[in-house]
Amino acid sequence: MNKAHNYGTDGHGHDHKAAPMVEEITDFEVLEIAVRELSIEHGLFTAEDHRRFTEFAESIGPAGGSRLVAKIWTDPAFKARAMEDPVKACLEIGIDWSKPTGFGTPSDYTHLTILEDTPMLHHVICCSLCSCYPRPLLGMSPEWYRTTNYRRRLVRWPRQVLAEFGLILPPEVEIRVEDSNQKCRFIVLPLRPSGTENWTEEKLAEIVTRDCMIGVALPEPGRTADVHPVVKARRPVHHEEAAR
Amino acid sequence: MKSRTLEKTQNNIGVHEEHPLGVQPRFKVGDRVQVRDMPYLFYTRSQMWARGVVGTIAALTYSDLVPEDEAFNVDGRVEQYYIVRFRQKDVWPEYPFDNDSVQTESPERWLEAA
Repeated sequence: MNKAHNYGTDGHGHDHKAAPMVEEITDFEVLEIAVRELSIEHGLFTAEDHRRFTEFAESIGPAGGSRLVAKIWTDPAFKARAMEDPVKACLEIGIDWSKPTGFGTPSDYTHLTILEDTPMLHHVICCSLCSCYPRPLLGMSPEWYRTTNYRRRLVRWPRQVLAEFGLILPPEVEIRVEDSNQKCRFIVLPLRPSGTENWTEEKLAEIVTRDCMIGVALPEPGRTADVHPVVKARRPVHHEEAAR
Repeated sequence: MKSRTLEKTQNNIGVHEEHPLGVQPRFKVGDRVQVRDMPYLFYTRSQMWARGVVGTIAALTYSDLVPEDEAFNVDGRVEQYYIVRFRQKDVWPEYPFDNDSVQTESPERWLEAA
């Protein structure tokens, strides 16, 4: 029995006292709580405002981005408008970058650049400094996007990182990493895959998943969700045995 | 202090060609630039990987306050921002693929002609 872990008194670890439920939070989270509570105290916004905005931000999801890409694929006139002024074009698909505050959010700003892939050029986005992400179009970023593992290695070893997502591109295709570090937000416009001729905009939107717009996957008929296979450990550690 | 950035952004929604706080850009698309390696206090968005590296102006994005001023709500100077494109081989000498590139954004003060 490993007494250092205080697992219990019966020798089987069943009668142990529950560990205190303390969530670890970072210095930045402490800072956020402090600034938020001060803001509420000083009347800049209310707790209700904050709750509503948080729920709004968490409810967005990537469907807006999917509609944007599908409309660009099917409507050349819209594509021209979107490449010229992406934020304005987003209004046509029901995405208003200025909402809900009237001027965007401090981290989203209202600048958008659409990165158009070609057969010889593939884009992929990251934010090596933090977590910049086109949230009005894609919602909250996935957990892995914010990890230092992804954002550091994508800048330096993009092909290896893409391979881990199952995306292997030939050397002659230029991979262009866009490190979002200022006020522009970026979305990848992937190539429309073959086999989708005569598809409706709605059907096309289904295969434009979040990962395709980040650039870590390519759209393909039949692929309508970002599912990463779970690789099970071949020799899992048995903690009961290890503790003996 | 009222934020000039927010005023500008509000005016600028969907109207990228109009910059109420616009400035005369020093660089144009295609110019060769080197990212400066300046000391900074507390805050910067100029990544260490880009410093000292020579790249090419890929786009002019907008004009705005620099982050070093904006972070502390200082009503500082407004500058042109650029997207700069680097060859991966110029950033990491051991990078094995000739064609690959990496882009990032930079305000004018962090760039000098190369």
